[in-house]
Amino acid sequence: MKKINKEESVERKMRAVWSFATWGVLLVFIGVLSFGCATIAPEKPKVLTATDRGIVVFLDKYEFKRPPEDWALMKNLEGGDFELGFLMFERGEFPSQTTFIYDDQPYGGSRDLEKRAEYYCTRFLFNSGMDVRVKKQENLTINGREAIALSLEGENPNRKEKTKSKVYLVRKGNRIISFVCTQWRPLNTAFSQEPFDHFEAFVQSFKFLKKDFYEEIEEKIRELKG
Amino acid sequence: MEAHNRDLYLYERLNARVLGVSMDDVITNKYFAQSLELEFPLISNVLPWMGKAYGTYSEKPPFRPDGSPNWFGRRTVIIDKQGIVRYMKDGSPDNKEILMFLLKLEKEFQGK
Repeated sequence: MKKINKEESVERKMRAVWSFATWGVLLVFIGVLSFGCATIAPEKPKVLTATDRGIVVFLDKYEFKRPPEDWALMKNLEGGDFELGFLMFERGEFPSQTTFIYDDQPYGGSRDLEKRAEYYCTRFLFNSGMDVRVKKQENLTINGREAIALSLEGENPNRKEKTKSKVYLVRKGNRIISFVCTQWRPLNTAFSQEPFDHFEAFVQSFKFLKKDFYEEIEEKIRELKG
Repeated sequence: MEAHNRDLYLYERLNARVLGVSMDDVITNKYFAQSLELEFPLISNVLPWMGKAYGTYSEKPPFRPDGSPNWFGRRTVIIDKQGIVRYMKDGSPDNKEILMFLLKLEKEFQGK
């Protein structure tokens, strides 16, 4: 049997202690990393939150009455053509679908409601090749805000498609915002009213829960200019 | 273009002016501006020295071998009061980003 002298024994103990310490440190390090990852990883914000008043809150920005669950939410969290909307594929041949959106930057630049409406109609569904006509235009108020309502219908005989739309251009402070609903149908199919009823409920219940970007920047400019 | 038109009142309050630059001729620009109801000037820069100056056109000849124009890409540039380029971005910019940048420049100018 090999005789272990005192120095060798101390060295072995030290190695064991170091080895244990190294593994311990590594484990703690991995633990910290995992814990860190768990806390650093950003939580996805819940986009729609239901309330007991029968409406939903979109992030912390808007509240409104949402359409039934079979309508899909369309959202733009990082800017885009519109702020949020809903889409419903309906029974029937393509294209049988309805979409409605809230858009804080509708076509045009004029801050005059009448002029904006006139220009808006020249751009609306422009790329679809639809021959769109204004069936009705009326001045009204939406939630206390001055607005213009446009009812439009369009046809594209070549693609055998037609559309029916309702557009609200609404004055909000120094800007004009819009709510737009468009229903697509094959030429030989009738339009349906129900999706428009959901759109009306959406528009009438729509509330802003906080200042939007433009209201905030206008405030900052006012502060800056004194 | 439309977005710039929408935000003109804010640009004005931030002491900024908008200029559009295009390789199209003056008449085409005039009708383009009318069709979009633009309320800011467009510069016709048929021989695209401005595109070259601002780096959107480097190393490209103004016309392709077949004679068609070699369009330069869209780029947004913000130049400060001293004539220094302070912001440059390719493609269609997010106007909110531009407004925030102009606010920062105005604060800087006012020493706040």
